[in-house]
Formats: sequence, C-alpha cells, structure tokens
Amino acid sequence: MPRVRKGAARTQARKRILRRARGHYGSGHKSKYKAEFALIRAGVYQFRDRRRLKRNVRRLWITRITAACRMRNARYSQFINGLKMAGILLNRKMLSELAITDPKVFDQICEMAVKASKAQPAKA
Amino acid sequence: MRRQTTLATPQTVPAKTWRLVDATDVSLGRLSVDIATVLMGKHRPEYTPHVDCGDFVIVINASKVGMTGRKAEQQMRQTYSRYPGGLKEESYASLRERRPDQLIEDAVKRMLPKNRLGRHMLTKLKVYGGTEHPHQAQQPVPMVV
Repeated sequence: MPRVRKGAARTQARKRILRRARGHYGSGHKSKYKAEFALIRAGVYQFRDRRRLKRNVRRLWITRITAACRMRNARYSQFINGLKMAGILLNRKMLSELAITDPKVFDQICEMAVKASKAQPAKA
Repeated sequence: MRRQTTLATPQTVPAKTWRLVDATDVSLGRLSVDIATVLMGKHRPEYTPHVDCGDFVIVINASKVGMTGRKAEQQMRQTYSRYPGGLKEESYASLRERRPDQLIEDAVKRMLPKNRLGRHMLTKLKVYGGTEHPHQAQQPVPMVV
C-alpha cells in the first residue's frame, strides 16, 4: 500500500468547519479544535431554541394584546374570557397583529369581548 | 401567504412622546411600575423586546412621593464601598429630602431589563424634586398614575 498524505483534504475539512464557525468569539473561529466543540454546543442550543421560540413568541403576543387591551381600559384576562364567551376564535397571533395594523377592528373585538365577559353570571 | 409576527425596528418605531407624571402622594412602587412600563414600551401593541420603543417620562414633585407604613423611616438605601466597614445606610425619608431623583431612579432601574438596552431606557427618565422641569419644549402629555 502506498502511503497517503491527507494534504488538501485536511485543509478542506478544516475550512468546512471554520466556515460554519464564523463570528464565534475569541479563537472559536480560528482553531479547528475549538470550533468543532463550539459547533456541537451551537447545534444543541439551536435545537432547544427552535422549540423555545414558539413559547417566547406566544409570550410576546400576549404582552402586546395586554398593551392593546389596557389602551382600551380592559384587562387581558377579561378580554380573553370575553372572546371565549362571545365565540370569537381568533388566535393570539392574529389578535396581536390586528392590534398593530388595524386598531379599529381591534376596538370592535375588544368591545364585544368586554360586553360578553360582563354579561356572564357571577360565580356563586 | 405566510403571516409573520411584526417586529418593530429602530426605523419603524412610532415617534416617541414625552409623558409628565406628578409624583405627589403616589406610592413609590406603584409609580415606578407605571414609569417602567412606559420606558420599556410595554404600553403599546408594537412592543418589541430588543428594540427601544418606549416613551420619555418626566417626573415632577418627586420629593413628595408617598410610601405606605413605616417604610420611609425603616427602608434603607445601602451602598458598600468594598472597604471593611464601608457600608453606608440612608433612610428613604432622608434620601427623599436630599436626592428625590435618586430614590425614584433606583426603584425604576430595578424594574428595567438588566442589560445595555435597560440602561439606555433609564436615560429617558427625567426626575425633578419640585414642580419645575426644563422640558417644556418637548410638549409632555400628562400621564395618569
């Protein structure tokens, strides 16, 4: 068997790794060894945060809806309860978008929700 | 069409306004909550966590801010110089008299995000002990607390 040197292949392999580690802190984007480990960690965070993103964005929608309700002298809990009572099926994403792009429609939804929430009998 | 959550950018943030608050007899914590909400921009539906979309807040009559119970006498502002025996304490009552702006800024600061953006938000808070403030040119709108 002839002896094979890695030569160009090794350079290519290192470049492949370092290309993905661009912008890493310190020697993380220079050293192949550090970059390899950093990339494994990065992948773990990526996987985890793709799942967290869904929760975080929902929280943002709720914060925004709260702000929109408070501008109209309503509470978030009252608003959501009213939506249920009134049979409005809009989700939080669309509600928050409506509050930004079409405040007049949100005015109406809010009014309906508050009315429906107040109409229900008090709990015994 | 896929609809995405709207995120404000520094360019699309609605124009910042100025709010004027009278602190007379409003309790310190309740006042600070409302101030912090406005500074962060959580009072408007475009709120975006990584962008400063809050308004400016001017507080007047800070030296008349209220405190319930015996907090004014008992609550202490502590600073530590890192030398042995370097702990200094001052009651909220005396601080309210001496540096009312410091008292309110401290309370609001702890309610803001602990990062660069939070520190920037605090610069939009202007506190004055008396009834006068030098921001008439910004045409502040009164804010109900």
